[in-house]
Formats: sequence, structure tokens, C-alpha cells
Amino acid sequence: MTSFLSYKTFIEEGDLVIAYMSRENMTPLIMDSKLTYNNKFGTFRHSDMIGKEYGTKMPSHNGRGFMYLLHPTPELWTLVVPHRTQILYMADISFITTYLDLKPGSIILESGTGSGSFSHSLARTIAPNGHLYTFEYHEERAKAARQDFEKHGLSDIITIECRDAYKDGFGITDLVHAVFLDLPAPWDAIASAKAAFKQNRIGKICCFSPCIEQVQRACVSLNKHGFVEIKMFECLIRNQEVHTIPIYTVKDAVSKIKVQQDKKRKRNEEESSDSKAAKSAKIKQDPPNLYVSKTPTEAKGHTSYLTFATFLPVLDDEVDRVN
Amino acid sequence: MSLEKSDNPVDSQTFDEVDLNNKDFEQIEDADTLHIMNNQYVFIVLPSGNIKVLKLQKDTTVSLGKFGTFHTNDIIGKPFGHSYEIYDRDKIKVIKNVAFHEVDLDESDANNQQTIDDPSKQKLSYQDIEQLKKDGLEGQDIIKKVIESHSSFDKKTEYSKAKYIKRKESKFSRVFTPVRPTLYSVWEYFFAKNPSKIRDMRIDTLSQMLTLSNVRANAKLLVVDDTQGLLITGVMERLGGYGVVLGIHDGENHNYDIVRYMNFSKKVNESLMVLSWQQIFKEECQAPFNYQDESQLSGKELKFYLRKKANYEKIQEARKILWQGGFDGLLVASQYQPESILETLVPYLARSRPIIIYHINREVLVNTCVHMRISGKFLNPQITESWLRGYQVLPGRTHPSMSTSGGGGYLLQTIYTRGLLGV
Repeated sequence: MTSFLSYKTFIEEGDLVIAYMSRENMTPLIMDSKLTYNNKFGTFRHSDMIGKEYGTKMPSHNGRGFMYLLHPTPELWTLVVPHRTQILYMADISFITTYLDLKPGSIILESGTGSGSFSHSLARTIAPNGHLYTFEYHEERAKAARQDFEKHGLSDIITIECRDAYKDGFGITDLVHAVFLDLPAPWDAIASAKAAFKQNRIGKICCFSPCIEQVQRACVSLNKHGFVEIKMFECLIRNQEVHTIPIYTVKDAVSKIKVQQDKKRKRNEEESSDSKAAKSAKIKQDPPNLYVSKTPTEAKGHTSYLTFATFLPVLDDEVDRVN
Repeated sequence: MSLEKSDNPVDSQTFDEVDLNNKDFEQIEDADTLHIMNNQYVFIVLPSGNIKVLKLQKDTTVSLGKFGTFHTNDIIGKPFGHSYEIYDRDKIKVIKNVAFHEVDLDESDANNQQTIDDPSKQKLSYQDIEQLKKDGLEGQDIIKKVIESHSSFDKKTEYSKAKYIKRKESKFSRVFTPVRPTLYSVWEYFFAKNPSKIRDMRIDTLSQMLTLSNVRANAKLLVVDDTQGLLITGVMERLGGYGVVLGIHDGENHNYDIVRYMNFSKKVNESLMVLSWQQIFKEECQAPFNYQDESQLSGKELKFYLRKKANYEKIQEARKILWQGGFDGLLVASQYQPESILETLVPYLARSRPIIIYHINREVLVNTCVHMRISGKFLNPQITESWLRGYQVLPGRTHPSMSTSGGGGYLLQTIYTRGLLGV
């Protein structure tokens, strides 16, 4: 079985392969030597893929095209996961992971699980000795995510529970180092999230909300519950398309006109004299090329606002007061 | 082997300032103990917003300039997160931190119609304030006096009152906050201090490098780091002491200065191996080590000999690991031409593994991208630019930060593959 927590070199029966046709066209395949995968690039037998090295460029059986056999990673999984909900984007995932100070050993609370795409990233980062408690109130989604975690060797790292965080809270106290809330009304879960934090140490929380009104309400609630250092960010990745373009000069522009004039003159001559004039034998010289990049015409302009805050450790005298 | 290492003095080439045998370091293996500890680096945020970095030593005092002095023993053992106010010259008390105070907008109908810029509205002069300080007034008391002496403070809007108080606090408050070194806080410090030393790498870009390279426990990574060790620091933290990061460095000795500020445990520090650009080549011989009879050596001599021997053997081990190949990824943030780095290091990578190259100048990566496309070994090389915007989120005053970093740099990312002809 392929794991998201370690690499293997060769593809075996039962392994997960990310079949890559293009950036926009990838699909997860579980190796079963009896099966064949067909797409517009041809026929690919699983039995041909088994025994190959991950990362191999694989020609189709009928020689029509090829695809790449990639080793799964949380980032590739994000691109192929069936879109059960809106998934987080790479820039957000990266920034949140750093800001929440995640590393091997971290204990995290996530709500909701959604497609489980971010859970994969989180589990990868906190393994082998950390733990992720993730909550999803949609029963079917929770079931599907649980199956994915099992198949991907993440069940030891992730505990998933089908639970309505607004109504029932998280049922966790004094345990986690970081909280990630991807909920429409995070303010209704902040009290419960606060209780989930390990009480004697500093912690970080992130609310992931697409609308500015959600951010404002979340901030008021975070402040009321004693969270400090409330910061908000937006982050994006802008693609740069790389091209090779010729750079012509004014001289080229002049000679282009001359060639046109030449042609015209010859055509006129042909019409009048009806003789077959030899083609202009001017050799076109290739202009120097320049490697350039440009941003695409249309790009992602917004994913969500990332609101962060710090949980303050409870002081000894506060503990006394509570008791 | 690890036992043997812990008995020896620490490899002088790596972390001479951090005593890895110190007991305190074992404690932070436990992620639950996030307390301020003796002999560890800590950032102190001053009322002015400036940050001071220091290695805490027990039984000493730390001077924060005009803001006062504190005894290190008063904060050692306390959890990170709280702020402290200095009183009576060198005593401290915990300050209840809050994110912000709610401002009641309906109560005030003030506006700036009548506002005129007139310094004489503040009745207290510089000399008066100095006198107050001499009379023993501190922090909040002085701020209160300054506000009382402002003849038209009441005419200010609630927002501008808050702004005024904040400005005075940055000058007269005596509140400081010890901040735990994390990848974010360490980056913040070095980025503010001297961004060019870390090749202008912004935290969102660094974070993307760590995500894209799939760094995690038990990975084995090649890193070319000319960012004072910032990139290496991020990789080491995410390895968590499991796996290897092999840093290829400029010059004879590495300059991964930033690593030490993270207070890494001995286990995490041991995941770092280093080689110079010269040492990676098989044909570049390393001067053979002159093994001696250890029973003939004593005291200082023996210590020196053992250190040299450990150094030599660590480099031999690093070369062996490199030449074995099969690395799980290549991360580059270097001054050297990326194409030449690829040519040198890609043979040591396993297939289907990520390559991420950072540069603040897009032009450099554009050339490398074309080079990658031609070579046919790299899957769909792509250049991306990082974009980050911070916001002020005070109630009723939410807007993007007025000033922000101009750019976060560029990444070139690809996956190393095996082509149709098996190359």
C-alpha cells in the first residue's frame, strides 16, 4: 500500500498512482493488474505500470500518447480529490501551516473536514507523533474522508468524528496546540475551540472565511474570548507563463515593408508582362529570441481571508479562580 | 552511535554557541512545555515595536534601554504569550493582554472639522515629562498625565483617541513581551532587520517551498541555502528530528546562522548534515585524517583531537549519503546559477520527487524554466509569484495595511521524472 507518510520507488499491486496527463488532467489510480485505464491518449494496462518506477513517463499500450505515473503527495491529492466541498489552495495551506506553527508532534483540531484534502497536508506535517482531530457534520462526507485516511495510511494520525460543532461543541478539552476553523459561522465554535486548547501553553487559531463580514464577526468573538494578536491575511499564488518571443528591430520593420513592396511590384510586373518572375530569394533571418514571462489573462483573485489569533496560556492564579 | 555523539563535544562547525548537552534541551522534546527557559534564545518585543533578541541566562538582568530593566529569573519558567510591565526600576508584573478595546461609536459625535495642527495643545514639555520621570512616575501614569495635559483630547474622535494613546504607549509604556522563536517569528525578525541577507524571501514563499517539497518526518532532502540558514531551519523543523537534510553551502564553512535561534533539540540538530560545493565532488579529495592513539592524548589535546575527528567523520558520512543518492527533493535558494545547481545535484534525486527553486529575480528563473523544458526530465516546470496582503481588523476599521512588502519572490517548481528512453 502506498503511504502519504513515506516514499516508495517501484509501483506494486494495490498501490496508489497519480496518473498525470496535464496540470488540469490528473486522476488517481489504484493498481489492479486485471484493469486497464483508458483516456484520450490511449490504453494503459495496470499490469504495464506495475513494476515501473514512480515518476516514469508511460507510453500508452497502443502508442497513441503517454502519461506520467506520479507518487501521491498531499499536494497532488488536493488536485485529484473528488470535490466534495470547496478545497483550500496551496498558498493558504502553506501559510496556515507555518502560522499555526505545525511540525512533527503537533496536536491539531480541524473543523470541518470537507473533502479531507487539508487533513492530508496536516497529517503529513505532524506525523509521526502528532495527532489531528477533525470534525465533519455531514455524515456522507465524514464517511468518505475516513475511508480515504484509512486507504492512505493516515488512520493512526487522524481521528475523524461526525459531529455538529455548533450544537455539540468539539468534546475535547485541554489537548490541542492549534485550531483550524473552516466553518460558515466560526464565532459559534470559538468558545468550544478555546476549551480544546492545551491550557498551560500558547496556542494559535485560524478562521478561514471567504467574506469580510465573517471576518469581522469572528474578530469580535475572538476578542471576547480573550484571544490576542488578531491578524488577518490574504494570500495568493500568481502564475507566470514562460514564453520564447522574437525581438524584432526597426530595421526588421523597414525590411518587412520593403518585402511587401517588392511582392506588389512583382505582381504588377507579372500581370503586365505575364512572365514568371523568380521568387524573391531574400533569406529571412531569425531574430534573437528572448525568454519572457507574463501573468495569465485570468487568474484566481480571492480564496478566503485567513484570520489568526493567539490563545494565551491560563495563569496559575486564573486556575485558582476557576477552581 | 548517538550515545557516542552525546559524549563528545559538539561539532564546532555546526553550532558552537548552543550547548546541545544542556539538560534544558531535552525538555523541549515534550511539546507541552512551551515555557521560557534558561540558556535559550528569546525575542523581546519592546513598546516601540522594536525587537531585541537575546540568549537568556539565569541570575542576570537584561536592560531594555529607556524602557527599563528586568531580572531573567522573573520570566524563566513562565509560559510564553504574556506581557510584562516593568515597575520600581526592575520589578515586573504580568499584564492582561487584549486584542483590542471595543470603541462605542454612537456616543461620540466628534469629527476632525475643528482639528488644527497645533503643538501648543500639549501643555507638557519634554522637560516636564523628564521631571515626572524623576519624581518616580512610570509607564501608564505618565501616559495618563500626557492625555490630561492635552487641551483638546476630548474633541478627538474615538478612533483618533485610540491612535493617540497607542502612540504615547509606544514611547512611555514599560510593557515588554517575550516571544517564542518559531519559524514565523524568527523570519519576522530577520526580514525586518536585513531582508537581503535572507535573499528577500518572504514567509509565504518560504512556507510554499516547505509544502511543495513535501518535507515531513523521515524525508531525505537536499537543500542549497544561501539565506543564512533560513530555509534549512524550516526544513529541519518539519523533519522534527526524523530524516536527513543535507545542506550544500557556499565557502569552506557553512553560514547557517539562523538555525540556532530556534532552540532546536539535539535530536533535531542532528538531522542536519553539511557539505561545501567542493566536498560534493568525488574527484575533490578530502585531506585524509591523521588518526592517533587516543590513549596517548589527554585534556585539551584529546578534546581538540576528538572534535577534529568527529568533524572529519561527519563529512565523510555526509559524502556517503549524498553519493548514495535517492533524495526525496531538492530545495534551492542560492546566489548560484540554477542550471548549474541542477546539473550537479539532480543525479542524486529519486524520480517523482519535487524540485523547488526560489529567486527574488524572475528573470533568473525564466531561463532555468526554458532549460528544464528542453531537457525533458522535468514535469511541467512552472513559475509562480507569491502574493500576500495583511489587514488591520479593528472593529469598524477593517482595511488592508497601508504599507506592505513589495514582493515575495518567485518559485520555479517541477517534478523530476524518467523519460521514455529511461533517462
